[in-house]
Amino acid sequence: MTERITEVAVGATRTEGGTRTRSYRIGGASALPGMGDAGSRPLVALEICDDPALWPAVVLEEVGDLAGDLAGWARAAEEWWNADLVRLVLTSTRRRGFDDPAAAGRAVEEVLAATGLPLVVEGSADPALDTEVFRRCGEAGEGERLLLGTAEAERYRSVAAAALAYGHAVVAQTPIDINLAKQLNILLRETGVSHDRIVIDPYTGALGYGFEYSYSVMERVRTAALAGDADLAMPMISAAQDSLTVKEVREAPDEERAGTAVEWEFYAAFAAAVAGAGIVCVRHPRTVGVLKEAVADLWEGAGWP
Amino acid sequence: LVDARPLDVPVSPSVRKYALTLAPPTLDDPSADLARLLEGVEHSGGPAATKIYAPLEMLRKIPVVLRHGRWRCTATVALVPGGYRLINVEEGETRARLYGAAVDLGTTTVVAYLWDLAGGRVLSTASNYNRQISCGEDILSRVNYAKKNGTGHLQELAAVSINTALTAAADAAGIDLEDIYEVTVAGNTVMTHLLLGIDPAYMIAEPYVPVVRRTFTTTAQRLGLAVAPTAGVFTFPAVSNFIGGDIVADILTSGMADQDEVSLLIDIGTNFEAVLGGRDWMLACAGAAGPALEGGEVLFGMRANPGAIERVRIDEATLEPAFETINRVPPVGICGSGLIDLLAGLIRACVIDRTGQIDTGIDHPRIRMGRHFPEYVVAWEEESGAGKDIVITGHDIRNLIMSKAAVLAACITLMDAAGIGHDDLANVFFSGAFGNYIEKENAVTIGLIPEVPLERVKNLGNGAITGANQALVSRERRKALDRIARTVTYIELNADPGFMDRYTQSCFLPHTDLALFPTVQRMLEECRLRKRWGQWQA
Amino acid sequence: MAMKALEVYKLLPKTNCKECGFPTCLAFAMKLAAGGVEPERCPYLDEETKALLGGATRPPVRAVTVGVGARSFTVGEEIVMFRHEKTFYHRPGIMVCAADTSPVAEIRRTAEEVRDFVVHRVGQDLTLDGIALRCESGDPDRFAAAAMAVGECGDLPRLLIAADPAAHEAALRVCGQFLPLIHAATTENHAEMAALAKRYGCPLVVRAETQVKLADLAAQCTAAGAPAVLLDPAPRTMGDFVARASHLREHAVTRAAPDLGYPLYLDTVPLGTDAALAAGILRYAGVIAVPPLPHPSLLAALTLRQNIYTDPQKPIQVAPGIYPVNNPGRDAPVLLSVNFSLTYFTLLGYLEAAKVPCYLFVVDTAGLSVLTAVAGGKLDEEVVKKAIEATDLAGTVGHRTIVIPGFAAPLSGRIEEATGWTVRVGPRDAAEIGEFLETETEG
Ligand code: B12
Ligand code: SF4
Repeated sequence: MTERITEVAVGATRTEGGTRTRSYRIGGASALPGMGDAGSRPLVALEICDDPALWPAVVLEEVGDLAGDLAGWARAAEEWWNADLVRLVLTSTRRRGFDDPAAAGRAVEEVLAATGLPLVVEGSADPALDTEVFRRCGEAGEGERLLLGTAEAERYRSVAAAALAYGHAVVAQTPIDINLAKQLNILLRETGVSHDRIVIDPYTGALGYGFEYSYSVMERVRTAALAGDADLAMPMISAAQDSLTVKEVREAPDEERAGTAVEWEFYAAFAAAVAGAGIVCVRHPRTVGVLKEAVADLWEGAGWP
Repeated sequence: LVDARPLDVPVSPSVRKYALTLAPPTLDDPSADLARLLEGVEHSGGPAATKIYAPLEMLRKIPVVLRHGRWRCTATVALVPGGYRLINVEEGETRARLYGAAVDLGTTTVVAYLWDLAGGRVLSTASNYNRQISCGEDILSRVNYAKKNGTGHLQELAAVSINTALTAAADAAGIDLEDIYEVTVAGNTVMTHLLLGIDPAYMIAEPYVPVVRRTFTTTAQRLGLAVAPTAGVFTFPAVSNFIGGDIVADILTSGMADQDEVSLLIDIGTNFEAVLGGRDWMLACAGAAGPALEGGEVLFGMRANPGAIERVRIDEATLEPAFETINRVPPVGICGSGLIDLLAGLIRACVIDRTGQIDTGIDHPRIRMGRHFPEYVVAWEEESGAGKDIVITGHDIRNLIMSKAAVLAACITLMDAAGIGHDDLANVFFSGAFGNYIEKENAVTIGLIPEVPLERVKNLGNGAITGANQALVSRERRKALDRIARTVTYIELNADPGFMDRYTQSCFLPHTDLALFPTVQRMLEECRLRKRWGQWQA
Repeated sequence: MAMKALEVYKLLPKTNCKECGFPTCLAFAMKLAAGGVEPERCPYLDEETKALLGGATRPPVRAVTVGVGARSFTVGEEIVMFRHEKTFYHRPGIMVCAADTSPVAEIRRTAEEVRDFVVHRVGQDLTLDGIALRCESGDPDRFAAAAMAVGECGDLPRLLIAADPAAHEAALRVCGQFLPLIHAATTENHAEMAALAKRYGCPLVVRAETQVKLADLAAQCTAAGAPAVLLDPAPRTMGDFVARASHLREHAVTRAAPDLGYPLYLDTVPLGTDAALAAGILRYAGVIAVPPLPHPSLLAALTLRQNIYTDPQKPIQVAPGIYPVNNPGRDAPVLLSVNFSLTYFTLLGYLEAAKVPCYLFVVDTAGLSVLTAVAGGKLDEEVVKKAIEATDLAGTVGHRTIVIPGFAAPLSGRIEEATGWTVRVGPRDAAEIGEFLETETEG
C-alpha cells in the first residue's frame, strides 16, 4: 500500500480568502483506518434543509421550530451540537414545479452568514434546473471553498462549471459501483475539474437496506486507490440519507424513537469512517457528539505499545 | 458469407474411389464377390479388406454390378470413425465422379461448397435462407418450438435448406447429386442437434447440457439429404451448448490450435462467442451482445443493405461527417460498420464523452435535442434517401456501448482467467459476417476488442464454411477437430462473479482502465488538447 | 501471491479425464486458483504438488466453537482482510455480561433475557449468543454461585471472566459441561489456565499487550493441551483494538510467523460500548463481551453484523408470490417486482412508509435485480403471464391493473399483450413509490 490519497481543501478562513472560522484539508491517507496513516480525522457534518416538508419526522421533533429558521438551525449546528461542517440540502429544489434558483443562492448566503463552519451544499437533481441553481450557489459561496454537490454520470457538466467558475470542490456520486465512480472522476477530470477538487460519494444505503454494498464499495475504492489507481485516490463522503425513514425508526416505541434514530445513523456513519470516509453526514443532532467521540477514539488508536 | 479463404491444406479426402479390374471367379478361385472386390481395393492402394465394412445395401448391389460390368467396377470407400465403409460400387470406371459438399448450417443462412474430391477443387457454391426461420427467428424461439411440436418438422426444414443449396450448387456445376459421397456440416450446437433430429430443450435450461458434443457421422439417407443415400454426413463437434461446431470450425480455420502463441478469436452477431488460447489450452465463452452492433435497437440502424452508411469519418475541427453508403446510393440508414466508425469519430471529435453522452453545450447545427434524447445529424434530409434527417441519438450510442461492452468484457474475462495481457495476443481473429466489414482501428478505438497492433487483427471471413471445407478435403484437418473441441474449456459468464465488474468497466470508451488501451488513450488526449487549443483560439 | 490458473494448470496431468468432476484439467485449475476446491479431488497429483497447491492446509484463522448444543457458535475460519475479496464466514458471538456481585435473581433474569431475545429481520432471526460472568467479588464460591444461577438457561453458551484460576476452577465444576469460553490466560497464570482448559475441554482466551507474548502464550497453552485458543490483545482504547486486530488479521491471512492464526476476543465494557461493538463487528472480533445494552443499540448492532456477514457474491432470494402490504382490499394496486431480496426489502420498506395498502407481486427472476433480469431475459412477458396464473392473482384482486418497475418500462406493451392486464409504469427508484401511488389512486 504505497500511494497517498489526494488532499481536498474544504472551507476558507479570512487569510484563505473566505469568512470561515476554520477550514479543513480532508484526505491524505496512505492506509485504511487502523492499518497505518489514515490521513486527516473524518469530519462529521450535520445536514439541515431549506424545506422541512420532506425531512424525517424524528429530526423535526428534535429541532422544533429551528426547522423553519435556516440561520438558527445552522448556528445551532455549530454552537449546540458542535458539528465540524454543515451540509445544506436544498430540498426546496426537489419540489415539483420549483423554479426559483435565486432562492437557492440566498439560502447559501443565509447559512454562510449564520455559521463559521465550512459548508457542503446539496443542490438540485434536475438537468433543467441544475445550471442556474448551481451557478447561483457557486456565486453565493465564491471564495468560501464550498463542497458543491451532486455531480452524477448523466448530469455533471453544470456542477463542474459552477465549481470551476467559483473555486469550489465537487461531490461526485455514483450508485454503489467502484467502476462507475472511477468513470465519473475521469469525466470530471476531462471537463477541467482537477483531482484535488473531487470528493467521491459512493452512495450509502441505510443500515439494513443495502449498507453492506456501500461499505464494501468504500473499502474497494480505498484499497484500489492505495494500490495506485489515481482516478480513485480522492477522499470520500458518506451520507446514509434514508437512515431515519427506515421501519426500525418509524415503528420504534415513542420513548425509543430518538435513540433508535441516533443508533441507526451512528452505526452506519462510524462504519463508513472505518471504511475510509473523510466526511460522514448525519441528520439527527444527537448523533454528532457520539460520532465525533468515536471517530476521535478510532484515530488515536496507537496499535501495539 | 460465401467468402472462404483459399485452402492451404494438402488434399486428402476421407472418401476415395478405386477403379478395379477384377479377375472373374473360377472353380480354382471361387472366393466370394465381396472378398474379391475388397481385396481389389486393397491391392490398388486402398485400406486392408478386413477393415472395410460393407453394409447390406452394398451386398445386394455387388453381384449384379460386378457381372454386368464384366468385372470392371469402381468402389467408393469412406474413412469413418473406427475404420472404413464401402459406400458404393459402380460398373466401369467412375473415379472422376467423386464429389463432396461442405455446409455452413447457420441459424439464418445456409452456405454450401461443392467439391470435386478427385481433382481437389471447388466446383460451385450456393447459399440460401434457413427455412427454420418460419419456426422462429433465433435459436431460443426454435428450441421453444421444438418443445411444443417435437423436432420432426425442424429436422426436415434443416435438410430441405441444405438440399436447396446442394441442388443449386450441383446444377451450377452440372453434376448429379447422387455422386456426392460426403457432406461435412458445421453448425452451432442447437442447429446440429436439430439437423440430427435430437431434442435441444435441455441445453437452454440449467445446467445447459447438450446431448452430444463429439463429431458424429451418419448416412445422408437417415437425415433426408438428397445426395448418395449411403454418403457419410459428418457433423462438427461442439464445446458446449453455446460454443458449437461453427466456432470449432472457426478455430480450425484460424490455425490458432496449431500455434504455440496465444490468439483471440471473436465471432460477433446478436450473440457473440470468444475463444482464447493456442496449442496447449483454449478458453471459450459466449454471451448476448444485443442487436445494436448490427443496427438493431438503433433509430436508423439497419443491416448491411444498399443505402446503408458503412463508412464515416468526422472532421475534428468542423464536426462535419464524410460517409460512404453501400452501392453508393443516398443513405437510408447506418449499418454495423458505419455505427462503429461513427462512435469512434464522435469520441475523437469530443462530441461525446467516454460514456457516450452527447455534449449539448456544443453550439453546432448537427448537435441538437431530439424528441427524447440529444442527437447528432449524420445526413441531412436533402441528401438522404429516407426523406428525413438521418441521426444517431444518445440512446443509440448507449445501446452500442452496452453491446460492445459485453464483447470486450468477455474477452477480458478470458484473458484475466489465463493471466494474458493484450501485448501477449499474437492474433485477433474476426469471424462471422460482421467481423469482415468493420474498420479495425475504430474497433480498437471504441474498445470493442483489446488493443493490439492492427496488423495482428485478421479476418477469417466465414470461418464456419472454410472449416467445413478443410474437414471435407483433408483427413488430418478432420482428425484435429475432436482434439480441438476437447482442449477448449468453457467459461459460463453468468456464473462468474467478476463478469459484472468487467462489463461495467467496458461500458466506457475505450475502457475504464486507460492503461489497457495506451495508444487509444494517447490519441484521445491529443484530440482533447487540440479541441481545447482550438476553443482557446476561437 | 495466489497462483494463476495457467500456473496451476502446468502442474496438472492435462489428460482431461474428468475424475475431479471438471470437464477439463484447465477448468479444475481455474477453480483451484479461485480457491473454490481442494486439490485432493484430482487422484493423479503427487504429495509435493498437492502441498504446493495448498491442499488441506488449515485456514489462516483457526475455527473455534463456544458452548454446546443448538446455541453453540463457531468463530474464526476466516481467509480475507476485506469481505469483498471473498466473504466473512463466521459472524462474531455477542455475549452479555453479568457481574457475580449482582443478586442471583438478576443474573438469572439477564441470562433469560439473552436466551429469549430475538429480532426477525429480512427473513432471518437475529439473536444474542451467550452470557458472560465477570468475577468482581474475587471470591471463587460467589463466582461458582453466579455460574449456578445461569444453570437453568439450558445450553446458552457461557463466557467466564476472572483473573484468578481458582475462581475459574470453582465455576467450571458447576458449568464445565457447557464448554464455556474462559478468560484469560496471562504470562502469570497460563500453566493453571491451560490445565483447566485441557481438563474441561473448553476454549481458552490468552491475553497480552504484544504480538510476541500473545504468540508465545497461544503456543504454550496449546502445547499444554488447551483444545482451542482466542487472542485478547488487551487494548486500552477502541482505536487500539482496531489497530491491533487489523494487524493480527493481516498477519494471519499472510500466514506470517509467529503463528497468530486464532480468532480474536474483545471486551467492550472498559472501552465505551457502541463504538467498540461496531468496531469489533467490522474489524475481526470473534467473541465480543458487552454490558446489557438498550434495545436501540442492540437492534442496530445486530443489523450491522447481519449486513457485514452476508456473502457479497450470493444474491439472496425471497419466495415468489403475492405479499399484501398495509392490509390491502381487493381494489388495492398490484406492484410487480423481482425476488432479489435486496430489491424486495428495499421496496417493502418504502411501501410500508408510504402507508398505501397494496399487493407486492413478486415473480421468480432467479434472484436477479430488475435491470439485470430485464437485460438478461429473466424478466419478460412470459414470466409475468405464468406468475399471474400460478398465484391466481386475478382471484386476489378485483381489478386487472399491474404497476411495473420503471426500469422494466420496455416490457410494458408486451406484458399487456401477453396477459391482458393494463400495465402502468411506476418510477425507477422505489423512493418515489409513495408519491406515485398517491397520485395514481387519486387519478
Ligand atoms: C450485481 C449486478 C449483476 C449480477 C446480478 C446480481 C443481481 N442479483 O441482480 C450479475 C453479475 C449476475 C449481472 C449480470 C448481468 N448484468 Co448486471 N448488474 C448488476 C449491478 C451492478 C447491480 C444490480 C443491483 O443489485 N441493483 C440493486 C437492486 C435493488 O435494484 P432493482 O432490482 O432494480 O430495484 C430497484 C428499482 O428497480 C425499484 N423497483 C424494484 N421493483 C420495483 C417495482 C415497482 C412497481 C417500482 C415502481 C419500482 C421498483 O426499486 C429498487 C430500489 O430503487 C447493476 C448495475 C447497478 N449498479 O445497478 C448491473 C446491471 C443491472 N447489469 C446489466 C447487464 C447488461 C447485465 C448482463 C446482461 C451483462 C451481460 N451482457 O451479460 C448480465 C445479465 C445476467 C444474465 N443472467 O444474463 C446492466 C443493465 C443495463 C440495461 N440498461 O439493461 C447494469 C445496469 C450494468 C451496466 N453498467 O449497464 N449483473
Ligand atoms: S482428475 Fe486430474 S487429470 Fe483428471 S481432469 Fe481432473 S485435473 Fe485433470
